[in-house]
Amino acid sequence: MKKTFADYQSPELFSSIRAFGTTSEMWENCLMKYADSPAIVYDGQTHTFSELEADAAILRTALLGAGLKAGDRVSVFAPNSYEFVKAFLAVSTSGMTAAVIPAQLDEMSLFGVTMKFSAKAILYAPVLEGKLNIAKAKGIPCISTDAAAEKGSPINKNVKPEDGCAIMFTGGTTGKSKGALLSNRAVMQGTANGCYGLEVVYGQRYLLAIPLSHVFGLIRNLLTSLYTGSALFICKDNKDLFRDIAMFRPTMLVVVPALAEMALALSRRFGKNMLGEDMKYIICGAAAVAPYLVTEYEKMGIHLCPGYGLTETANLVSGNPDFLAKPDSVGLLYPNQEVKIVDGELWLKGANLMDGYVGDPEENAAAFEDGWFKTGDLVRFDDEGFLYITGRKKELIILDNGENISPAEVEAFFNKIELVQDSQIFEAVDENGKHYLSLEVVPRMTEIAKLGAEKPMEVLMAELVKVNQSLPAYERAQKIVIRETDFVRTPSMKIIRYKLEKN
Amino acid sequence: MERQQIIDTLKSILLSADPAKRDSLDAIEENSNLTSDVGLSSIGMLYMILAIEETFSMRFDNVGMNDFVTLGDVVDYIEKKLK
Repeated sequence: MKKTFADYQSPELFSSIRAFGTTSEMWENCLMKYADSPAIVYDGQTHTFSELEADAAILRTALLGAGLKAGDRVSVFAPNSYEFVKAFLAVSTSGMTAAVIPAQLDEMSLFGVTMKFSAKAILYAPVLEGKLNIAKAKGIPCISTDAAAEKGSPINKNVKPEDGCAIMFTGGTTGKSKGALLSNRAVMQGTANGCYGLEVVYGQRYLLAIPLSHVFGLIRNLLTSLYTGSALFICKDNKDLFRDIAMFRPTMLVVVPALAEMALALSRRFGKNMLGEDMKYIICGAAAVAPYLVTEYEKMGIHLCPGYGLTETANLVSGNPDFLAKPDSVGLLYPNQEVKIVDGELWLKGANLMDGYVGDPEENAAAFEDGWFKTGDLVRFDDEGFLYITGRKKELIILDNGENISPAEVEAFFNKIELVQDSQIFEAVDENGKHYLSLEVVPRMTEIAKLGAEKPMEVLMAELVKVNQSLPAYERAQKIVIRETDFVRTPSMKIIRYKLEKN
Repeated sequence: MERQQIIDTLKSILLSADPAKRDSLDAIEENSNLTSDVGLSSIGMLYMILAIEETFSMRFDNVGMNDFVTLGDVVDYIEKKLK
């Protein structure tokens, strides 16, 4: 017998959940219902819904004043902060599309993706001003989130569900970085999906500790929090996570499994619930969730709900209401989706699906077939309709901290070393089932011979460690091996990649 | 607190973060690289910082992941803060 989310919520609560057509429509509804409630808490300041709207309205004026109009794309370049929230709202409620650029990108990448996404301006947080030099030199208008205006501009009510809302970074099905264009309809469906299956939904206290440049942070955390009239505490530095928790007393936490695991390990070490007594739900996703996390958190009185989603599906494909009975499942499918399984792979259609990758016809051709999006994930359903992820077809590595690693992009840094002929970065598992990044390298023997060093492999290892250290922390290999033989290759000499099989 | 005591406490923190690393943790020294020798991920680093604060009743200032390359760097920092 198939289950639905209606089986897990009161009829009143279930029927109250609806996907708005556009961000503008949802935001107007929020302002009508929750004007004086706290919306965002950041850096010691609380901003109500109406205060946030007043600030977004000023930014709408700044955008229009810069000659931008509905339908234009604008890069939003801000770290997790109040500035990000008002910038995203200003852009999307103006009927423009927000190309959400991760704050850690350097100035060349910021310029490059702004061009690639055909964004006409950059709306930036002042703290990132140092990264605008190239964009400014190339004549891209840059607008600060501190921009002032005498009068705010109204919310654009003419936005349509099919109009673009956000462009989000993803490794996608092939592992190459690109931008997924999500319509207003898709983002709003994703936002409403976050409410299904839970016993409490409205007026919660959310804590944000994951990037807003990721759909899990933007949609499931920020937008669902706003939609439900909840308050969102934005952690300025994850180092202060537990101090922030003690002060704000959140009831909802949206995190990647590695963070949930870390909080559990700390709670055990210090013999107290580090997430605070008010915590009710941990929404856990963006990477595979170990079932023991569900049962261990239940002992602490916290429901940890594993879910499954992709950037391309506005985050949420499925979520788990019956986490205790099926901790290894990623739950039931959210509404308004069609699915089929082709050779074990999950194919999707639906309201939450992206329009496509921006400016990447080859990637789109590879990702879509007859209007179906090929997720690259191997799945099965049980008799009650619960979904299980059984493996992955795509090359992308998704670590337990939710970071997506494109092996080819990381390998390129190691392959620049003259002593390296080829390299392969892959996901490995230690004897306790913990996943980590491992690097294997084939030395370029002609260059090694030229060294004339007594221990040439030590020279190579030192070079590899240096490059490894220069990478963002999440891309660093935790084990490096110099091979004595070449990798196994295809007839066309392509490396046959190591594959991690899941049960 | 003696330097060796700090190192032992740090090893115990790293072990509680990831019990699977018992063997490699036994072998680490002050000049061991936190990423390639200890195998610490970015969240592992966060765990270490939070556990150090709780254990030593101290607060880290505005430090980033790249400020600590070796185990010795962390020990130096703790020693300085405890003075």
